[in-house]
Amino acid sequence: MPQRPDVSVVVIAYDDAARLPRAVGSVLAQSLGGVETIVVDDGSTDGTGRVADRLAAAHPGRVRAVHLPENSGGCGRPRNEGARRARGAYVMFLDSDDVLDRHACLNLFAAAEETGADLVSGRCVRVRPDDPGDRGRAWYPRLYERRTVLDSIRQRPDLLYDTLATNKCYRRDFLTGNGLAFVEDLHYEDLLFSAQAYLAARRIALIPHRVYTWHWQQEAGRGSISSRRDELRNFADRLEIHRRIDAALRAYDAADLKLHKDAKFVNHDLLLYLRELRRRGPRYRRRFLELAAAYMAELDPRVLEIANPMPAIAAFLLGRSDLEGALAAAEYGRSKVPELRAELTERDGRVYWGRLDGRPGHPVLDVTGLGVHTAPLDRVRPDNTLTRLERHGPLVRMAGRVRNPLGRIPPDAQMAAQVEFVDRRHGRRVFRTPAETAHAGDRIEWWAEFAPARLVRPLGFTDPIWDVRLRLTVGRERALTRPRPGDGALPEVTLPVRPRLTRLAGDRLTPYVTEGDYVAFRLTGGRRWQRAAHRIVRYAASTPVGGRLWRRVREAERRMRRRLNSRRTKLAVYNRLLVRLPVRKGTAVFESGLGAHYSGNPRYIYEELRRSSRPVRVFWSYAKTPHGFPEDADLVRRDSWGYYLALARAEFWVDDQGFPSGLRKRPGTTYLQTWHGSAFKRMGFDHPELKLAGPGEQQRFRRMVERFDCFLVRSRHDVRTLARGLGVAPATLLPVGYPRNDPLINGGDPAALAALRRSLDLDGRRVVLYAPTFRAEGDGGAAGRLELPFDPMRFARELGDTHVLLVRPHYLSAVGLPPGARHAVRDVGRLPDVTPLLLLADALVTDYSSIMFDYALLDRPMIFYTPDLAEYAGRARGCYFDLAEHAPGPVLDDEDALLAALADLDGQRVAHAARRRAFAARFGEYDRGIAARAVVERFFDGGGRR
Amino acid sequence: MTGRDVFLVCNNVDEPGGVQRWAHHLAGLLAGRGHRVTLVGVTRAGEPHGRPRDVPYAVTVLHERWRPPALGWRPGPGWSRLDVRARLRDRWRTAAMRQGAGRLSELLRAARPGGVVIAAQVWAMEWVRLADTTGLKVIGMSHESYQASRRSSRHRRVREFYADADRMLALTAEDADAWARTGMTNADHMPNPLPLSPAPRADLDARVVACLGRLSHEKGVDMALEAWAEVSAAHPGWRLHVHGSGPQEDALREQARSFGIAGTVEFRGPAADAVAALSRASVFLLPSRQEGLPMSLMEAMACGLPSVAFDCAPGVRELVTDEVDGLLVPPGHTPALAAALERLIRDGDLRREFGAGAAAAVLRFRPEPVLERWERLFALLHRDQFVT
Repeated sequence: MPQRPDVSVVVIAYDDAARLPRAVGSVLAQSLGGVETIVVDDGSTDGTGRVADRLAAAHPGRVRAVHLPENSGGCGRPRNEGARRARGAYVMFLDSDDVLDRHACLNLFAAAEETGADLVSGRCVRVRPDDPGDRGRAWYPRLYERRTVLDSIRQRPDLLYDTLATNKCYRRDFLTGNGLAFVEDLHYEDLLFSAQAYLAARRIALIPHRVYTWHWQQEAGRGSISSRRDELRNFADRLEIHRRIDAALRAYDAADLKLHKDAKFVNHDLLLYLRELRRRGPRYRRRFLELAAAYMAELDPRVLEIANPMPAIAAFLLGRSDLEGALAAAEYGRSKVPELRAELTERDGRVYWGRLDGRPGHPVLDVTGLGVHTAPLDRVRPDNTLTRLERHGPLVRMAGRVRNPLGRIPPDAQMAAQVEFVDRRHGRRVFRTPAETAHAGDRIEWWAEFAPARLVRPLGFTDPIWDVRLRLTVGRERALTRPRPGDGALPEVTLPVRPRLTRLAGDRLTPYVTEGDYVAFRLTGGRRWQRAAHRIVRYAASTPVGGRLWRRVREAERRMRRRLNSRRTKLAVYNRLLVRLPVRKGTAVFESGLGAHYSGNPRYIYEELRRSSRPVRVFWSYAKTPHGFPEDADLVRRDSWGYYLALARAEFWVDDQGFPSGLRKRPGTTYLQTWHGSAFKRMGFDHPELKLAGPGEQQRFRRMVERFDCFLVRSRHDVRTLARGLGVAPATLLPVGYPRNDPLINGGDPAALAALRRSLDLDGRRVVLYAPTFRAEGDGGAAGRLELPFDPMRFARELGDTHVLLVRPHYLSAVGLPPGARHAVRDVGRLPDVTPLLLLADALVTDYSSIMFDYALLDRPMIFYTPDLAEYAGRARGCYFDLAEHAPGPVLDDEDALLAALADLDGQRVAHAARRRAFAARFGEYDRGIAARAVVERFFDGGGRR
Repeated sequence: MTGRDVFLVCNNVDEPGGVQRWAHHLAGLLAGRGHRVTLVGVTRAGEPHGRPRDVPYAVTVLHERWRPPALGWRPGPGWSRLDVRARLRDRWRTAAMRQGAGRLSELLRAARPGGVVIAAQVWAMEWVRLADTTGLKVIGMSHESYQASRRSSRHRRVREFYADADRMLALTAEDADAWARTGMTNADHMPNPLPLSPAPRADLDARVVACLGRLSHEKGVDMALEAWAEVSAAHPGWRLHVHGSGPQEDALREQARSFGIAGTVEFRGPAADAVAALSRASVFLLPSRQEGLPMSLMEAMACGLPSVAFDCAPGVRELVTDEVDGLLVPPGHTPALAAALERLIRDGDLRREFGAGAAAAVLRFRPEPVLERWERLFALLHRDQFVT
């Protein structure tokens, strides 16, 4: 090649003869012409040098080989040597175990030439090469969403998270001009190099294209340097690198970036080490704590305010030398369902992480807003500790303690527990035995006694690992907890078992502690022939053929299971087979909110059925737990085979949202669609989303609606908006109002209301219900968190003596309330039925929820608190009418006005009386208090179609 | 710089659609720069369309008629693999494609080093893949937004058939980034060149709103009618001209009747001369559900028309700047579409302001810079051979 190459790729290798040709091959295959390869052999002893020479000889002019006389122990020196010899206009770095994407050089080069950037960076994807099914995970993909040009790292300090040197292309005279090189005597040279490069670059370009594949493996023996975090020197090196980065920030006059870099240190670097600390010995931990605490003192004090909350807590506690607390914080959120391994303390109305031990609560430790103390038990798992594991002959006794922070599980709660043994590889094979529970201070004690030989029946060989869990059911909630070993080691107890296939696989379960610090069991056998069998199986699985075969079998099994239980299969069986069964007269399937709860119109129709003792057999569908559903009905889990069978044979379908689309309704079935509220927001074909949909999707929606034989409406407004928008046939409209609103007109059951009043601990104060609409586009956190748009503490302070606020988030959301407001603010999100709450409330605060149409029937004050009205109604979706024009109460957007309006409810009552009545008349036209009876008489008398 | 051999392969080159207009325009422009251009249609659309014959580029067709199934057979899981008929039909398709690809290979063999094959559509790419492209660089193009591909089988086909192309071109940077994120590392973007310049300027006094496009679901004329029903009552003097034909024509006429706006909506059939039709209007309406970088919008802007458009694709945002040269409306939000139309209908000064803005803004897409971009791309792909 006569001319200067465009890009030089420096490939560094140490004792990696097997993989070097693949790395070099990926450079030779680049779609950009004019790429040269410089292989730097870092003093290898396994023949890597010869491989490099061979590659150079095979591709003269395109590949050069450089040999360092002795191993440098890092990546710094070989990369520097390679860069020094580079002739290209741009330089890139590649490690011998990784590969470049075919278009990496072309994309980076083109971006550099087009933008004039000194440094162009692209997406890096981490792949586990030992897992053939792994499609890889992008490294900080949020940085590489769009092509971006930055004139300074200050425009995107987040970029400091991508500390790799390899997914980038550097203008060579930029490197030489700024004297940029890797440090050679420390690990993690990438971190410093990338930081210096970011700082020095006058322009940085980012591209969303994948450029680099990072083969990432946890080898038992020699891992790559970066993942060998177990040596203390590594941590010391990392801290030293960070100190040098701090110096570089000062040198480039960029002290303002230090805060971001420190936050990255807390969020990323520190967390990495903390999460591995449980596996380390006491000496390592001690030394780690010393090193970490020293560097903590050098961080910008404001870092704890901007770092993510849990890492910030971990860093803060490290600074206090509280290693156990720091570990609990670092591990929280590691699994999909976070586990609470720390105490919570309530102080001055706030909730704090850990024990405060008499110290005042620090703002960093304040976790009130995270809602850990109120989250459902299946979203934040309480910590479980194994306290006893004993064997008496054939029987095993197991006991432990579950954390119960701040009395989250009240002493009078209905509680049940089961100990479960779960096949880790299958997850679906579970053996359960009941356990006893009892409250004991801030813990819940549990214990169980069982005969393992009869309870746990492994197959043998296919299921060598068994996890143990405690399933705790508290009222409607369920928690799956995993016991951790208590203080000290696990007891030397084994559980005798009899595998179904063969005793060769073993005859006992031996406890051990997993990487996540849980107790699990391994199927083992003590005899020599059992050990031999294990060795043979292990060997067979490790050969390529055996491994492949094993994976295939498991794949096929999983596929089969998935296919059998998929909704598609069930729908096909339903539509072709089940609907041929005869209809069972006098049966009905009821469902509310897709099975979420026992409430809404279906509930009130059901109650009327029972009150009038009509002989109808009712199946109620539940989505998650049957708790709270009526006991005199047959309960079927939504989407189960039983559910589809019941639907296929039912004479009536009754619901308020929609049975699965794709289900054919047979002619003998009558579908009562009672719906769940009048519409303020545009619905169905009036909703931009459905308007935009393709013809197929629109057709599906039409078919779903065509199944309705009856659609309840409350007013002509419903007919014009909701029914028309959904495309409901006018002949099916039934203008009787909503059964769930009957009590709003009749006053409801006084005894039940009094009981509810007592259970919510309501006294003579005014009751205000806050029920906002659901916002799907919340800012993340646990799925669907309701962020209150006003300060509940302020409400409690200013109105707490005279008012009680009931907060009812949408059933898909949860809310975290500060305990300091407890005396005046209650979360009523767990009550499935809203109608009694409406009856109890002296006033309603809402935004756009359809609850406004129901509450209007009570003729009590209503306040519309809508700080985001313009955005919500204007752009996103569109509404059927102008809220400000028709609202039967004040439409407010600031907190002062809200509190003032609440303080003067009597004034509200008078001021808006006329509008309120007009609103109720307009939207509740047909509500007469007899809807349930009308529906039941019309459909369930004589048991036929209308 | 010497001229290159450029082969532009489309599904067909004689349909009156946007891609075909683009292809002939680009072929002419590249030929004007000294490249030897061959425009290749995989098949014919029907009777030959009245194109000028003395064009500075060659036009050829691989298959006079294409009778095998349009798409390859992809058996689902389970029994469908045993479908013998489908298997045979697919074999027939493959054999026919081989013949067409053979013809294409003959054309390509004549190319000199530095040549380029551009598959304008993913269906045409199936032939290019089978043909012998040794020594040439292959470019695949997607003439719609990423979102639009996503909703059709083209998403999968683009990912499969363009995977090995040297470059895959979307219409806008935003679409290219979306493709890159899904793993198409050859993704880049190339805008359409403005099809006419200079264009006649509309005087913006005619009380006509124009809507131009195929009468099919994705062009969203049904939503235009919905919005028009809200606007029309208050402005009885105004007319909506719908230019184009397509499968939904009857349904749309029926819809207009049921809305009671049949009197103010004129279905004027396919526009033989788009520019003439546009310059008789005062507002351009783009109610599409899906778009790429719409040529009709470009033409309307070049004629100095203010536009009202659903913000349905990056290409639309790229052309229209809200409140500067037109009004963008959240997709599917017909009341907002009606409100935007009404604003422009009421306010002649606003029309003139936006119209002038549009005519100026669209000049970014005049042919020269777009051709420069093409040249840079050709040079980049052939860098090993063409470094100076």
